[in-house]
Amino acid sequence: MRLYEFQAKRIFQEYGIKIPNGRVAKSINEIAQVSNLIKRPLVLKAQVLAGGRGLAGGVIFVQQSDDVLKLGSQLMDRAIGTEKPAAVLVEEKLSVIKELYAGVTWDYQHNCAVLIGSSRGGVDIETVAQEHPEDVVKQIVDPFVGFSGYQARTMAAMIGLQSDQLMQYANALRSLWRIFQQHDAELVEANPLSILQSTDMVALDAKVVLDDKSLFRQSALLARIEQLPQQSSVGFEYRRSRAKELGIPTYIEMPDGNMAIIADGAGSGMLTLDLVMDLGGKTRVYCEMGGEITPDLMEKTMMVSLSLEGLRVLLINLIGGLNRMDEMAIGITNYLSKNPPKIPIVVRISGTKQEEGRKILAASRVEFFDDLNQAVEKAVKSTRGN
Amino acid sequence: MAILVDRGTRALVQGITGKIGSFQTKLMIEYGTNVVAGVTPGKGGQTIYGIPVFDSVRQAVKGTKPDVSICFVPGPYACDAAMEAIDAGLRLEVVLAEAVPLSDAVEMVAFASDRKAFILGPDTAGIISPGRAKLGVHPHRLFSEGRIGIVSRSGALSYETAKVLTENGLGESTVVGVGGGPVWGFTHSDALKMFRDDRDTDAVVLLGEIGGHIEEEAAEYLNSGFPKPVIALVVGRAAPPGQRMGHAGAIIQQGKGSAQDKIATLKRAGAIIAHSPREISSIVRKELK
Repeated sequence: MRLYEFQAKRIFQEYGIKIPNGRVAKSINEIAQVSNLIKRPLVLKAQVLAGGRGLAGGVIFVQQSDDVLKLGSQLMDRAIGTEKPAAVLVEEKLSVIKELYAGVTWDYQHNCAVLIGSSRGGVDIETVAQEHPEDVVKQIVDPFVGFSGYQARTMAAMIGLQSDQLMQYANALRSLWRIFQQHDAELVEANPLSILQSTDMVALDAKVVLDDKSLFRQSALLARIEQLPQQSSVGFEYRRSRAKELGIPTYIEMPDGNMAIIADGAGSGMLTLDLVMDLGGKTRVYCEMGGEITPDLMEKTMMVSLSLEGLRVLLINLIGGLNRMDEMAIGITNYLSKNPPKIPIVVRISGTKQEEGRKILAASRVEFFDDLNQAVEKAVKSTRGN
Repeated sequence: MAILVDRGTRALVQGITGKIGSFQTKLMIEYGTNVVAGVTPGKGGQTIYGIPVFDSVRQAVKGTKPDVSICFVPGPYACDAAMEAIDAGLRLEVVLAEAVPLSDAVEMVAFASDRKAFILGPDTAGIISPGRAKLGVHPHRLFSEGRIGIVSRSGALSYETAKVLTENGLGESTVVGVGGGPVWGFTHSDALKMFRDDRDTDAVVLLGEIGGHIEEEAAEYLNSGFPKPVIALVVGRAAPPGQRMGHAGAIIQQGKGSAQDKIATLKRAGAIIAHSPREISSIVRKELK
């Protein structure tokens, strides 16, 4: 779960990292109100979760003579990708001498957290690591010890900082680590972490991504940070979030396709997509249902995947261990009895309780396959209008 | 022999009284797995299918001497359960739960390696040595006894592959699921090291996916030479970048972890590349002639 910048900055502030003076505004009226409280020049920042905000025009500066309402309403109306801003963060514009980077994430190669620092901030750290690897320092964290003060100071020295700046940077690193650890994050990043003319070190941007699988133990944090009203997203994002609400963990669309594909396993699902591609078939929508699937979820997944226009076939590939094929078959026949199919449905069904499942399908005259390649061939063929 | 589990393996089931734990335990026992004890805190003293249930792993170890454990405990509590089993001296912990917090996954893996034990998973289907023992949730009718080792990230992809091998008269020595990632306690290269020395394994099938680093790590291991044929299938060639394809670890990020790259890396390391389970089966036939 990615937090909005203003939410991340609130957390940074709680942990002692300095942030620019600013307020979040959810409407033009609020932009008018809060912009009077902050000294110009200002910076207006669209609150979106998508990346690439700056390049998409999601950050604008407001000089003394500019019309803040006009610029603010333009920003509120501008979609960043498929996402309309949920709010605008209005901040004072600061005079920066140097931009640094500081962040914490997981290092899956070493199975531990890693602190990352760089003297080059304000750009994507992956890019810096590729182009200037000598300017990136890393410290992996012993899971039984944690991240120590001396390690933070060593990192600060290694990116070339001295005296007061060294201490400020080391403290910021320690704060980022505490946020990461105490709030079960996947990523905590101050980029840029900027040195001002006043010599203060301030996080001009803040990124916090929480681990979705840990949210159950972050209820206190989630209750504390100000939430925004649900944005009415459009198109793919809307359909994906609707699928997620129904309990379908993976919902993916691809342009130009005409096949719907449902699978009950991540690897077998990707294999299905690959085999379809190899035969020249084109996937439009793909749903993967995860483990422990109920008949109800099977039924809902069929409903969701068949709600798109222009589909010519639905291919369902089930090969269950934990998932029981009798329950999958009940879901399929329930759906079909309520919604007579307008396009061919090709079912491949194997695994736990497959005989029982196949009996249920046969009783409802649903054709099924035992062999995956045959099912894929049949499905791809049926997109060609026989 | 076979790797990791065999007829002599004494298995403990954590979370044995739950709905899925009890159903799957029944299937494991029917398959011939030697399940010696179960643990569900607060339900000690009961029995299920004649197997004693204990409150703690320590009590189970004292009474029944298991050496491996399969854990049906849900994600939020899986780390605690896994550490309990490892702390009690078990050498292998199979963690099925999918929704394990990242920091818990890292913690349990570190805890296990510190004590010279293995976590298999999290988010794994487990292990099966066909005809001998099963410590997982595999649909075992699709598997048969044979001499091909399989190591896979995805459970379902290993079922698919075993099914096709079985239909073509080839069987499996051991099938290991390492889990959906992005944290792995046991990887493809760990399995390769064991299959290398396993006298019951003639060839190894390596099933990979987009995202993560464990196929590359396996390739690095293979680069130093491997005495048996390795056939690799990496799925996700048709997966769009930036999308999580069902497993937490299955995502192409910043251009890294594509199937094409992994296939090229494995090929350079001497693996024979297949594009489907059908192709795996015909390659295996040819290699073992």
